[in-house]
Amino acid sequence: MNYLRPKNLTELTRTLSDASAATQFVAGGTDVLVESRQPYFSKPQTLIDLSRVDELKSISETNGLIRIGAMATHSEIIAQPLIQRQAPLLAQACAEIGSQQIRNRGTLGGNICNASPCADTVPPLLALDAQVEVLNEQGLRRVAMQEFFVKPYQTVLQKNEVLTAVYFPPLPDGYGSAFYKLGRRKALAISRINMAAVLKTNHHGIIEEVRLAPGSVFPVWKRVAAAERFLTGKKITDQNFMQAGQITAQEMIKISGRRWSTPYKEPVVAALVKRVLLMAAGLEEQ
Amino acid sequence: MITVSLTINKKEYTCEIDPQTTLLELLREHLGLTGTKRGCEIGECGACTVIMDGLTVNSCLVPAFQADGSDITTIEGIASNGKLHPVQEAFLEYDAVHCGFCTPGMVLSAVNLLDNNPQPSQEDIRRALAGNLCRCTGYQQIFDAVQAASKKMKSKR
Repeated sequence: MNYLRPKNLTELTRTLSDASAATQFVAGGTDVLVESRQPYFSKPQTLIDLSRVDELKSISETNGLIRIGAMATHSEIIAQPLIQRQAPLLAQACAEIGSQQIRNRGTLGGNICNASPCADTVPPLLALDAQVEVLNEQGLRRVAMQEFFVKPYQTVLQKNEVLTAVYFPPLPDGYGSAFYKLGRRKALAISRINMAAVLKTNHHGIIEEVRLAPGSVFPVWKRVAAAERFLTGKKITDQNFMQAGQITAQEMIKISGRRWSTPYKEPVVAALVKRVLLMAAGLEEQ
Repeated sequence: MITVSLTINKKEYTCEIDPQTTLLELLREHLGLTGTKRGCEIGECGACTVIMDGLTVNSCLVPAFQADGSDITTIEGIASNGKLHPVQEAFLEYDAVHCGFCTPGMVLSAVNLLDNNPQPSQEDIRRALAGNLCRCTGYQQIFDAVQAASKKMKSKR
């Protein structure tokens, strides 16, 4: 087995020319090492360790966009004042991932590229209108977060491509946001359903802009355009938020059909949409 | 085979390993440091917790090559000069050890918490230890021990 340890983007780009289906990129290791012990896992011929590539680690703000390097860990994102201030829903989501030990190693890029339908960082990034940056031999390109996922556990990344960073505009003043995670227990749980919302209201309590991104609800990640359209121009009330929840649940059934979990998920998705919108509006649930 | 050099409990080691080796395997199989326990191997139980460059990690999920150049503390490095760490003393005093399998990981998570947050609240303690499972004690004795160790360490400063 070959082991490659590029130290910068130039070296990383060079390793991509030989990358194949038998190449395994290793970020924080928290998903891939679990996978590697499964019977179906085919042993890679080459391991590319991303942990020493300096450019992938930093968190910064340039030209009005926040950039988080793909190798930033959940703990680093939580601790970053820039994120706490300008994208608090992402910090909240990172804080609810796994355990301290997992957050210290697991990376944002790894969470996105693993492409689990319940990945906790994806709904906040969708609600933040994020783009991801992809590196291949030709150079860097950006892809909208909504276009990045093909199906559960599969992204648009080709064998010789790697995710290098995430970009999004900081939340402007007056925008509320929230992340809510429903797990089987409080800590160290994989999300059953998660939700992120960004909400802007005017001083009459009328919704000017809303972005709603649920996780584990649709087979491929997306925002709920129908619910967003319904809410825009409406007042922030329990009833309107509940109706947005019902629209989301109907959308889920329209796409996935009625499945074994639907009797549970239909009312729960609706209630969680209402809850996350109330949280984003800074209101308590009645 | 690849070469990995790292510091473990203030001692330097250089090892020739297969690239698929985990930090846990490096510690237990290559170096005989069996105080670090192998539990679930999927990052849920925390029995394999060690401190790596000041942060707790599940050593079962750290590829050994990522530990190259790092500074590791295992349970074998917590007592100094034959004297137990206040966290270890408190675990004994509060009956926070039953079968003992989770204890090394628990102690490392607790020591790391107190290093960063010398006077944690109950909530801080619960959060810091959420990645360490114990099937014997029901946790209360462990939380009490960590609180007691925090007080003891404060009075010594």
